[in-house]
Amino acid sequence: MTSRTLGNGALVTLVAFALSALPLAGCTHVKPWERGKLAHPTMAGPNLPGPAEEHVYSVQEGAVGGGASAESGCGCN
Amino acid sequence: MQLSRLFAIVAILVSLLSTSRAFAADDDAGAPADTSAQPGPAPEGSDARAPAPEGEADGGAPVAPEPGETTAPKSTSNITARASIDVGGYADSTATTVLTPSLSGTVESPTAGWAINGRYLVDVVSAASPDIVSTASPHWNEVRHAGNLGFRYKPKTFGVAANASTSYTPDYLSLSAGAQLTQELDDKNLTLVEGYGYGRDTIGRTGTPFSVFSHELEYHSISLGASRVVNQGLVIGLFGDAVLERGDQSKPYRYIPIFTPDVAATIPAGASASLVASSRMQARPLEQLPLERDRFAVTARLAWRGDSTTLRFEERGYTDSWGLRASTTDARYFIDLGRRVMIWPHGRFHVQNGVDFWKRAYSATSVHDLPALRTGDRELGPLFTAGGGGGLRIALGNAGALDDVAFTTTLDGFYTAFSDAIYVKERFSALVTTGLEVRF
Repeated sequence: MTSRTLGNGALVTLVAFALSALPLAGCTHVKPWERGKLAHPTMAGPNLPGPAEEHVYSVQEGAVGGGASAESGCGCN
Repeated sequence: MQLSRLFAIVAILVSLLSTSRAFAADDDAGAPADTSAQPGPAPEGSDARAPAPEGEADGGAPVAPEPGETTAPKSTSNITARASIDVGGYADSTATTVLTPSLSGTVESPTAGWAINGRYLVDVVSAASPDIVSTASPHWNEVRHAGNLGFRYKPKTFGVAANASTSYTPDYLSLSAGAQLTQELDDKNLTLVEGYGYGRDTIGRTGTPFSVFSHELEYHSISLGASRVVNQGLVIGLFGDAVLERGDQSKPYRYIPIFTPDVAATIPAGASASLVASSRMQARPLEQLPLERDRFAVTARLAWRGDSTTLRFEERGYTDSWGLRASTTDARYFIDLGRRVMIWPHGRFHVQNGVDFWKRAYSATSVHDLPALRTGDRELGPLFTAGGGGGLRIALGNAGALDDVAFTTTLDGFYTAFSDAIYVKERFSALVTTGLEVRF
């Protein structure tokens, strides 16, 4: 992979971060009784990959990180 | 192999249990509507897998069920337990296969906000380095044992979690522990998280006691992040990680071919083992990596829920003090096919450059002039990996508690291109996983 391609990757990352920040401008205050969708299990947790899949990524990729999570939403307790 | 048999026996027993429970249940047709509030998978460590207490959220206000759902039956106990068995199988075109059976369990009180979880897994690895494959030498085999224990407690809006893990092979011992704090703000619409971890690895040689030969590697990890509820179906988050590694993580088995400068310039990417062997100098030193590495990652995460689908998207940017920069994109799209079945396509793309000291062919004028830093680890060189696949989850529990038993399977394939490495230019790999979870 050339450095030019990597530069494109970094640009994609930057754009993704910028796009992900856009909805902040339109945040609404969600009440506890409005969290039915947010409580769905597919909405929570960073560890969607199982241990075998995570191991594959840790071996095949030279990067680490991204395991932390902070859920806002289900109001389960 | 004894462990493999043990896992097989446990898997059969769990399968029989789940099958009997499924067939004992009323058939969906004519049975009351599913009262489970959580028809999807329950990722480990997620609060959301716990049922909302008596239909009320923290503020005591009633929680409106999603369309098509009915109120869950009242539980007689506020403590639940789950056990699961998973098996992963990996194979690639460089003659590496890995079988990874694992057992895990969780006991938790959703209403009190505490949980204890643990996992034990075994990696049975059969592999050969590409140069060995080319000369038809036999594989080497290795068994890795790994386990972790975790605890978390979040009674209200402030939570704490701790975990410890270990991994062992005859030539590698890893011990680590960490803690995480969570603070929910703005009526749980904003969540902050910070964590710290410490680990210590001992790297040795098989058959040689660690006291005779070993490298030590210590690492400290710090994570900070926040997630924000944007609306009733959208959550976004931004997380940062820093990992500071100190010690010698060079592989004591990895020998680096050295070439004279004029020959090194002629070694092509993907050069065969025979070409390397016939072209290299007599000297063949061991790998030597820098003794310090500072690694940083920023990850943006998005989760969106529609009426019957969920999109999970993640983008990670990475850089480190060795000069490696990378971008990783991962997306899954969950689709509910009724109350028992869910499928999801999955895609992942990773691209990185090489570390500063990466060379396809290291050169020296003599054995007294060897490069101080040298590696043959292809994952430290420039590469990209594109992968995709999907998963299937089937809830097998009784009507009214569909998720008490769930079967999950995934299949993913990956293509990796090594643009500047000897021996291998590309790799095809596949990963299959199956899992069965039972909730008590």
